[in-house]
Amino acid sequence: MKKIQIAFLAVLAVLVIAVCLLESGTLGWLQSGLLGIVSPISHSGSAVKSSIGSLGKDLMSLDQLQAEYERVLSENRKLRAENNGLRDLQQDNDHLRQVLGYRERSSFRLVPAVVLGHDAGEWWSTIKINRGSADGITPDMPVITDKGLVGKTTAVSSNLSEVVLITDESCRVAAKVEGTKEQGISAGTRDPAGELRLTFLSKLADLQPGQKVYTAGVSGGIFPSGIALGTVKSFHARELDGEAILEPSADLGSLEEVFVVTGAK
Amino acid sequence: MRQIILFIILVVLLPVALALQDLLPSIPPFQARIQLLPIVFCFGVLALPLVPALFFALAAALVQGLALLQIQSGQVELGLTAPVVFFLLWAIVFQMASEATEGMRWEVHAFGSAMVTLTLIGGEFLALCCRRGGFPVEMTVLWRIAIPSVASLLLAPLLYFLLRKLVPVFVEDEALPKKPEFRR
Repeated sequence: MKKIQIAFLAVLAVLVIAVCLLESGTLGWLQSGLLGIVSPISHSGSAVKSSIGSLGKDLMSLDQLQAEYERVLSENRKLRAENNGLRDLQQDNDHLRQVLGYRERSSFRLVPAVVLGHDAGEWWSTIKINRGSADGITPDMPVITDKGLVGKTTAVSSNLSEVVLITDESCRVAAKVEGTKEQGISAGTRDPAGELRLTFLSKLADLQPGQKVYTAGVSGGIFPSGIALGTVKSFHARELDGEAILEPSADLGSLEEVFVVTGAK
Repeated sequence: MRQIILFIILVVLLPVALALQDLLPSIPPFQARIQLLPIVFCFGVLALPLVPALFFALAAALVQGLALLQIQSGQVELGLTAPVVFFLLWAIVFQMASEATEGMRWEVHAFGSAMVTLTLIGGEFLALCCRRGGFPVEMTVLWRIAIPSVASLLLAPLLYFLLRKLVPVFVEDEALPKKPEFRR
């Protein structure tokens, strides 16, 4: 083996030891750096993906319009033609009004963000959004939609952030059940079904399916009080406590737009 | 010089693979994800000589480890030690495989990519079980390990021939080990 190769191997050994000894602060900084590097690829890839997606959507709308055409033909030719032209615009308009309305109604300061993609890790439920420190985002900020809680930011670069979803095992949320004094801790599971497990409830809680669950907003916590978390699907008493299975309020499988809570108004 | 250019191209491909795999949709019904980084890693460690391959493995470990890093309230759930050891060991195995086959072979790359994906996802699961407790080995878990591995096996030849065609655009083909002849 040549001397230069031995020298390189020595450098490699030093680097490996240095990498293994890194602490959380440095690791967080490195992770932000990596997010910064992948940010342009994620942004442009997401744009291409949404273009392709909207192409598919347009084709589907055409099918729907065709079906609509056949159904309405027997009723009114004039109304059918008018509806075909206006339907898409009306949907866009309604959606934008809903999003804008929620942002204005909300008692939080919200930063709107677009979901760029779900992370490829099998055992973690995380997404990337197109906002970062340049928009005032920092780690540990709640992320919501108009339907309910989505998760919290973890790693942040200048214009890209990673959000850990409430369905991840590691994302724990203090929660309270509507109409009761019951409080517990919600967390995700390793199962891809996307359910939440609300534990540390009273064994005698006797929760009923359909009851709403909200964030409890404990002092020093990340999540403010009163954000919809999910709906009770089932409840069972365990040896020491009660456990409820929840269906998340926000549709985490098809997230497109979210809001990052940067503070109170 | 050619080896250095090849090394740089492969290192640049690592974050590209990471970003692209995040954009790919999950595979129903178990929502398994396609992994591209192990395929690029396998190509790199087969194409490069020992010392650059080890540096490349360190780069792959950094990218993979940082991508999955979860810092909760200042606590790191899984650090970088496990990915570093994992990728360095696989780099040595692939160097030995490359020696045994006297060059790069697409079959070794495809099988190796599947094995790296399988052990990577399985290892992450075991590490999480140790960290978070519980060992829920269900069919869902097994499928979520098996499906990405099979996807890697199927995608690896495509990426292999694509890279074999693309790399000579940037560097002379001599930078890659020659394809071996079958020996009787």
